[in-house]
This record gives sequence, C-alpha cells and structure tokens, in this order.
Amino acid sequence: MPGSTEIVARVNELIADLRPDNVDLLAALHRIQHEFGYVPREAVPLLAGKFRTTPALIFGTIDFYSEVRTNPPAEEVVEWCSGPACLLKGSMNVRRALEAVLGCEMNRATSDGKFELRLVQCDGTCHLAPLVRHKGRSLGPLTVSRAIEWARALRGEPALAAAEPPHEAEVVAAGEGEAAT
Amino acid sequence: MDRRGKARPDCIEIMATYKEIRQAAHKAWDAVARPRRTLIKVGVATCSRAVGADETLAALRRAVEERQLEADVMLTGCLGLCYAEPIVEVQRPGRPAVLYQHLTADKVPALVERAIAADGIATEHTLAVVDGEPLGGVPVLSSLPFWRGQVRRLMANCGVIDPEIIDHYIAHGGYEGLAKALQIGGEAVIKEVSESALWGRGGAAFPTGRKWEFLRGSQRKPKYIICNADEGDPGSFVNRNLLESDPHSTIEGMIIGGLATDADYGYIYIRDEYPLPVERMRKAVEQARERGLLGESILGSAFSFDLEVVRGAGSYVCGDETGLLASLEDRRGMPKIKPPFPAQAGVFAQPSNVNNVESYANVPLILREGAGWWSNVGSEKHKGTKMWSLSGQIQRVGILEVPLGASLSDLIVGAGGGPPEGRTLKAIQPGGPLSGIIPASDVDIRLEPDHFRERGMLMGSGGLVVLDDTNCIVDLCIYFEWFAEDESCGRCTTCFAGTRRMLEILRRISSGRGRTADLELIRLLGRLSSNANCFHGQGAPTSVMSMFRFFEEEVMEHLERKRCPAGRCPGLIRYEVLHQSELLPLAEAICPTGAVVRDNGTYRIDQAKCVKCDACREQAPYAIGVVDAFGP
Repeated sequence: MPGSTEIVARVNELIADLRPDNVDLLAALHRIQHEFGYVPREAVPLLAGKFRTTPALIFGTIDFYSEVRTNPPAEEVVEWCSGPACLLKGSMNVRRALEAVLGCEMNRATSDGKFELRLVQCDGTCHLAPLVRHKGRSLGPLTVSRAIEWARALRGEPALAAAEPPHEAEVVAAGEGEAAT
Repeated sequence: MDRRGKARPDCIEIMATYKEIRQAAHKAWDAVARPRRTLIKVGVATCSRAVGADETLAALRRAVEERQLEADVMLTGCLGLCYAEPIVEVQRPGRPAVLYQHLTADKVPALVERAIAADGIATEHTLAVVDGEPLGGVPVLSSLPFWRGQVRRLMANCGVIDPEIIDHYIAHGGYEGLAKALQIGGEAVIKEVSESALWGRGGAAFPTGRKWEFLRGSQRKPKYIICNADEGDPGSFVNRNLLESDPHSTIEGMIIGGLATDADYGYIYIRDEYPLPVERMRKAVEQARERGLLGESILGSAFSFDLEVVRGAGSYVCGDETGLLASLEDRRGMPKIKPPFPAQAGVFAQPSNVNNVESYANVPLILREGAGWWSNVGSEKHKGTKMWSLSGQIQRVGILEVPLGASLSDLIVGAGGGPPEGRTLKAIQPGGPLSGIIPASDVDIRLEPDHFRERGMLMGSGGLVVLDDTNCIVDLCIYFEWFAEDESCGRCTTCFAGTRRMLEILRRISSGRGRTADLELIRLLGRLSSNANCFHGQGAPTSVMSMFRFFEEEVMEHLERKRCPAGRCPGLIRYEVLHQSELLPLAEAICPTGAVVRDNGTYRIDQAKCVKCDACREQAPYAIGVVDAFGP
C-alpha cells in the first residue's frame, strides 16, 4: 500500500492535464480509481484545488456515484447482479447463499479483507441470469448449488464429491431448439 | 460562409469529398463482402463476451494461423441473438454464409475441421443460413421466430460490419446523411426531421424536430449537443447494442443535430457499466476525426463540430437529462429544477439539447433516405421502428427491432418463445422500474406510447422483463422500490423519504407483519410522489401502484393470510423435510449454514440456522419442500 506522500505525488501526476469546467472530474475519478483500486482520502483536497471547489463538494460528488470506491477493494471481489432478470430467476437465493459461504454481507468485506460481495447494476447480459462476476468473468446461469460450490472453491475449500464442479459461463439450452423450428 | 445553413456554394465540394471517402471505404468493405478466401466473423459484444467470445476469436485466429488456412477472421458486433452467443459466421467463397451458435472456444477445433478446412457444415452447432435458401435442414435467418417480425434499420449493420472500422460503416451508406445535411443546411434538416415525426426514444416521446428548433432559436453561444447513453433502466440494453455494434450511427446523428441547431460541441455520456461501448465509441470518434467527419470544417464545409465520450460512474438519475447535465458539470448528478429547460440553460448554463442514443441513430436514416421512406413503417400515428430487449422468464433473451405499434405478444410469445416450458406468463415489466407493469391479460397491447399512457404507465426506453407464475409480485415491488430508494438523489423528501417508507411497508407485508392500513398508506405515498421535482421521484411508485392494481388478490394474500402464493418471500415461507430420502445427505453437504441436520438418522431443518437459499431443495427436490411459515 503506497504512503500518503506517494499517493499525493501520483494523484497530482494523474490529474495534471485536467481543468475545471471541462467535464474532467469524472475522468479524474476514473483515473485515480484505476490506479489505486479506489479514490484515496488524500486525493480529495487535490481534486478540490484542481477543480476550484471545496473538498466537501468533491467528497459529495465521490459519495454520489456508486461505482466510485472510497476504500481499497478486498483481495477477491464477487460482484452480484441486482437486476430484475436475475431477481426473477432467483438471484436473492444466490445472494443469501454467497453471504453465508463467504461470510460477509452485501457491499461489505470479510474482516481479514479477503472476500467482498459487491452489488452491481444490470449490464444486459441477462441470458446468464442469475449471474455473478469475478475478475471480469461472468458466471451464469447459476443455480444456488453451483454458486455455493464456486464460492467454496474460491475460499480454497475442497469440492464435495457429490456436487457438480464450479461452472464457467454456460448457456441456456433454450436456443438449441431453434435450428429445428 | 453562412453557418446558419442557407444553400451554400460549397455543396459540390462536400459531395466530392464525401464520394472520395466513400470510394476508399468501398474498397475496404469489398475485401469483406466478396471474399476470395473464407471469411469468419465473430460477434464480440458485451453479451457474447460474457460467454467467451474473446476466447473464441483468439482460438479461431490461432487455428487459422497454425494450419495456414485460406481464411480471414473478422470481428463484428452483435446480431441481438443473446440466447445463442457466442455466434460465429462462416462464409466460404461462393457458398452461403452460415451462422453457428454457442460457439465457445472448445468447439472451435470441430468447426475448423468440418466447416473451414473442409467444405462442409458443422451441423451440430448451426443456427441459421444468413440468406438465400435453407441448407440441409438449416433454416434461413429471416425464418427464425426471433427474426421473423423484425424490421432492421437501426440494427442493419449490427453483426454485419466491424464496429471498429469506420470504412465498414461508410460503405453501408454511413455519413451520406451528414453529407446531404451539409448541402441542404440546418433549417431544412429540422424540417426533414419534423416531417418524419421522429420522437425521443428515451422514454418521454417528445418530438425531436421541435426540440431541435428550441435550441436553434437560442442565440447564445456556445451550444451543446448531448447524447444520453446512460441506459440505466435495469433490463434495458438496446442502446448498448447500438453503441458497441454500430457506433457511428449515433455519432453521425449528433453531428447532424449539431448542424441543425447550430451547436459547437457534443458529449456522449455513457454509463459506467458499459466499458466496451465506451471503448468502441472513443475509437469511433477518433476515426471520424481522422476522416474529417468531426472537427474543423466537416467534409470541407464551413461547419465545425467536435464531440467527446464521457464515462459515468454509476448513477441512475444521471439518465434524467438535468441529472446528466449536473454530472457533466463536475457535480453530484442531481436533477435540476425545470425551467430553465436545457435549450435555454443546459450544461454550463449554455443552451443544450439532450437526446437518447436511439433518437440520434435514427437521424442519419431520415436524412439519407428521406422522411417519406423513414415513416413508411410503423402504425397510423407513430412512425419508424423501436428496439426492444427481452429478458427475465423468457426462452430467448435478446435484442430486436420492430415497427412501432407491433403487438407485445408478438415479441414475448412469438420472438421470445414465452416463459420456460410448463410455466405460464404472469406479467411484463416494460422500460424500467418507473414504467409500471402489464398483466398477462393485456399481452396484446400495441407497443405505442398512447396505450401505455391510457393505463397510467410509460412505454419507457425499450426493456421488456418477463414474469411467470413462479414469480411473486410483492417480491418484485420490493425490488423496484429498493431501486428507486437506492438511486434517489436525495433532493426531494417525497422521493428519498417516501421511497424509504414505501420500502419499509412492503418489507413488512412480505415478512408477515402487514397491517390493514398499509394499503392506504402506500396509496398515500403514491399520491405524494407527484410533488417530487424530477421524473425519478414522480415515477418511483408507478410500478408498485400498478402491481397493486392488477394483482390485488396476491397482495391481499400476503397481507391478510400471511401467505406468499409463489413461495418466494423469505419471511412467509420455511423449508421443511417432507420425507426422508437418500438425497438428503447431498442437501446436508450443500447447505451453507449447516441447517440440514441429522438426529438419530432422521433429517430435519434447523430453522434458526436456515437462510432460505433453496440450495437443499435443488439437491433433494422432493424430500425438502417450501411450506407456509404461518401455516399449520
């Protein structure tokens, strides 16, 4: 984890070419989050100076957007889609199971900082509903059992002989019938 | 030079410049369209990427290189057939092009062996023949139920061209609309757009031509053209498809909009959840600039216009036009109070125009083909096409484009195949959480704004989420109210506090603690919400109100008898071992909380530990059942 002085220096570098009233604050937040995985506290006064406003208004803006983080992500972040297609296909069951296996509530991390469950919005990959994402990969359509097995494997627990192996994105069988129609 | 758009002497020059660009583009496309070698197209978009299209593309490229096959591998966008992704198209010289479905990387060797290295068809993976005649049992694309009723205009290039190559777009008539617009001038452009009767596709259905007139009438400079690509309605993903499969149609529409309104600069605001569209749009803007289609004196004319892509950071209310403007101004994306309207004081208090992606994407077609051609599809009252995305309890998830006025049942039952086998349709949730709900009895409704307004609803921006008989209405009410509460910007009390109170009441009902007064309280909150400033606050209770209207019996069942008929509300159900079975050890093993316990060889559920995740019932479906928590 970089120290405060390093963070200040790096943030200043990252936002050097940006200016106020030029639709640049969102770009600044994206750059900083891309670099550190979150927007560190130290960045707030620097952004306020850069965009000629107050730290309170900068923090208010950061706080407003759900995809801007103010704390470092856990080692393993599991993103759970909250969308309606996932909901109708049983995502709440998947959520309850993941919370139980990973040992953390939604939008929280385990106390050792290893696992985190994060609520995300629908991105329209609804053919995989219900789905979770991990390291940019989508996993779906999930059954609760598969979600549990996958989460246990993520925790390094041995797989049960009886249950199915963890599943990478698998497609619904509905499309297969179409060639025959 | 006259920037206000009277006939200009540089018309001939503009057309000559455009033709030059077009000729070069044709050369690039011809290599694709009339291949002397086998052409393999891999659809890479958000939906196909999620099921491994990147790996398919890489595997195909590797196979072609390693085996030194006479073939080219090309990237393309998305056809809209999400349910069949990843899709690969193979066209051998002089043979009809064949589409293969579910073509994940592990199936690439078989495809290469049978359909690329050899002159055959990999029959077990075929989806359709692109056009012509059916081929050995493989149907033609246009005969597939998902494709049959479609009129693909906006989507004509989707899954056909490489979205990362501007020449492909130009070779398909791209930027011809812009060249024409530059010749006829801004006033005539607005006239043409007004004549087509195009209205905003983002949900409000305001006439685009009128909106543009407001901005044109404004004398202050600079003026801005803004594209709302913050497609936040969960379950809507039609804009995403356009942005990532045919990015230039939106850019061209915005440039034409800029010309028509005498604007100087544009912003495309894309939601954070769409990284691929952001990447492709940025690339497209870059390429348009290189070709002289963006920037100083476009196509050699006197008109200058440039634009940039802005990536949002996760906020639903930034999809409200004034929320979007606030977000562009480096502030919290809180919707502003209207008036002033954006045409008077938009971004940076300068005159601005905000339209949806689909609205802009229609404009090049109107200019290129004329308003008469454009409005030759649609209903009596509403012209043109509309894109829709199907998701939820439906057999074929995907994106399609049909004329306005098409019947909802044609989309849900015809194209989408209806709910999974053995289930019945319960309701359809159109266009986002603020729109309302359509019960199955109304499935024949025509997809036009009027029919939705009659029911106190909105047609919305293009999402159609399907519910079947296994879904619970109260469960869905809670979701929509949670969403409205979670995304409230916090300005109006009736919104941020009203949605919170409503959510509490709904959760109370779903946990068996509902009170008789709750129905009236919900109706009261519904009435109060009309006092909110923006549409988010006003529309927040719409879905709940319409679900309470159409499904009152089901709500009362929760409220009075404390039962969830669908067996979904966790507070109203409990899991029980109904009879002993050899599958119960599997249930015991899968349970994440150790709630399936064995006492002296008999299994039971420890209710204190059970989190009601349903995993045990998946493992032992007949031995474990859901019973009413408050039942006998």
